[in-house]
Amino acid sequence: MNKFEVKNLNLFYGKVQALKNINIEIEENKVTAFIGPSGCGKSTFIRCFNRMNDLIEECKIDGDMTFDGEDIYAQNVDVVDLRTKVGMVFQKPNPFPMSIYDNVAYGLRCQGIKDKKILDEVVINSLKKAAIYEEVKDRLDSNALKLSGGQQQRLCIARAIALEPEVILMDEPTSALDPIATAKIEELMIELKKEYTIIIVTHSMQQAARISDRTAFFLLGDLIEVGDTKEFFHAPRDKRSEDYITGRFG
Amino acid sequence: MTYLSAGIAVVILLSVFIYVFQKGASTLSWDMLSTNYWAENINLRFEKSEPGAYAYQGTLPEGTYFSEKFGFAVKDSIGSDKKKQIVITYIDENSPLKSALVDTAGTLNNTAHTIHPGSLVQKFTFENSKGVSRSAGVIVNQDAKTMIKTLDTSGVRLLGLYYQTSGGGIAGSLKATFMLIGMSLFIALPVGIFAAIYLNELAKKNRMTAMIRSSIEMLSGVPSIVFGLMGMTVFFPITALLGATGPSIILGGMTLAVILLPVIIRQTEEALLVVPMGLRTASLSLGATETQTIFKVILPSALPGILSATLLSVSRIIGESAALIYTTGTFVNDNPKLKEGATSLAVQIWSVMSGEQPNFELASAISIVILVIVLILNISVKIVTHRLNRKWSV
Repeated sequence: MNKFEVKNLNLFYGKVQALKNINIEIEENKVTAFIGPSGCGKSTFIRCFNRMNDLIEECKIDGDMTFDGEDIYAQNVDVVDLRTKVGMVFQKPNPFPMSIYDNVAYGLRCQGIKDKKILDEVVINSLKKAAIYEEVKDRLDSNALKLSGGQQQRLCIARAIALEPEVILMDEPTSALDPIATAKIEELMIELKKEYTIIIVTHSMQQAARISDRTAFFLLGDLIEVGDTKEFFHAPRDKRSEDYITGRFG
Repeated sequence: MTYLSAGIAVVILLSVFIYVFQKGASTLSWDMLSTNYWAENINLRFEKSEPGAYAYQGTLPEGTYFSEKFGFAVKDSIGSDKKKQIVITYIDENSPLKSALVDTAGTLNNTAHTIHPGSLVQKFTFENSKGVSRSAGVIVNQDAKTMIKTLDTSGVRLLGLYYQTSGGGIAGSLKATFMLIGMSLFIALPVGIFAAIYLNELAKKNRMTAMIRSSIEMLSGVPSIVFGLMGMTVFFPITALLGATGPSIILGGMTLAVILLPVIIRQTEEALLVVPMGLRTASLSLGATETQTIFKVILPSALPGILSATLLSVSRIIGESAALIYTTGTFVNDNPKLKEGATSLAVQIWSVMSGEQPNFELASAISIVILVIVLILNISVKIVTHRLNRKWSV
């Protein structure tokens, strides 16, 4: 089943066109990886899924993008509601300068949930799902900025999971982390795809090959090719994909 | 060349400090901080009036005279108005002076009154051995020595005392300064912080916001006396509605609030700029609204910066004088109220220096108080900003 369906999506920053006529379907409970050289529009594209591009003043989008069959760029869409269903993890770990507990509880509190029991339960469950609970269970009250980079990133994943989203967007989640922390996050993603649909932007083709089910290759704002990851890496249909995979450019 | 310039700066700074401290140090005391500026005349009578036999604890300082019959010590001095004075320096625990009752018509009549050392004796009334009431003190042209001699030789009963409080204190101005600080921050902080949030977080970056921003910057270049004139004409009708009849602390506070706005807006904006963009996007991506993001994430993170803006503002208020001359007036008020005129510390300096007999010592002493407060505030700003930087360098 398709979680997202994108048809003829064009995105402009002022007069510059950053995405050109993108058509793609995102399948439910699969990991979809976006790869491509820097500046190809993959990060811009992932930010379309939870309308984070709204924050950029000069950004204009046309085309269709549906989430469970509903157009997310329609007039009457509640962006806040969309963002609770489509969580996001960023390139640089960005925990709030608050306690670990408050970080995870943040999203729920913004929805007005104050019941300590519910919060406790959700916080602990989310930390467990993000495979960080064992490391922090004794110091939930300490400042999240004291955690290591990898721990911070898993905390950010826990923070996104706490809202029980249907989709998690990950924008190069491991690019600021060392190999061990990266391995942990990758393991976590494989675990998480049982429950969530995951879209990940990555610079590392190995990472895409290791964890994703489907891969989309972007180049200069065009979606060149999208398909099953194994097929994509073994027998790319497009010459440009092949050149990129084999390292002839990018 | 650079050494020389830096050296000159340090020398100038030091000479200002040394000059002010030399002049003011002798006047500076706890009494000065806690007493009134205007001398008060007080009439007392004594409940217990019989003489006793008292002894001074320790050696009597040069120029001080002790009454063995009534248990107090006085010395001569010259007041800031160049007149001769007799100052009470010491009162024994059991002296009749400890049993003083107010002797004036009105509600205070017959209430107990404590005479503080430093008070200026005008006259003592006493009964001599013939049962006749007599006077001793400055009023009958006596100095400390002769007054004590008169009392100790012919005094049988101590009847009353008329004295003046020493005056020259800055308690009223201190209180008025704090009221001005409270008043102006109460207005300027919310307005300034919300203006900064609007400019930095919500406003679109177009020509309009650029214009607002540059006009705010220009505001900080306007001489404060112009603000004083503006406050006097623009705000006075508002304060008149509230019941103030002339210059008042409310009026001064409003004017100061306008002066503070650019400082607070600039500082708050800078504090908001330091907050990493990642926190904003993180908060929004978690389904927080813009308002929730501002109040739950951005403002708490910018708090140290806002705090240092507040401290800077306070030192600005303490140093401000020109804008206050028109708006709070120059009359030193010992018991300042919101709707009455009063002086801040800086204006009191102007006030004590502008009379016929400038009181240099008091002015310098007030300067020391101001310098010390500003120094403390500046150090706290340094500490706060240091903490801010450390917090975000993680």
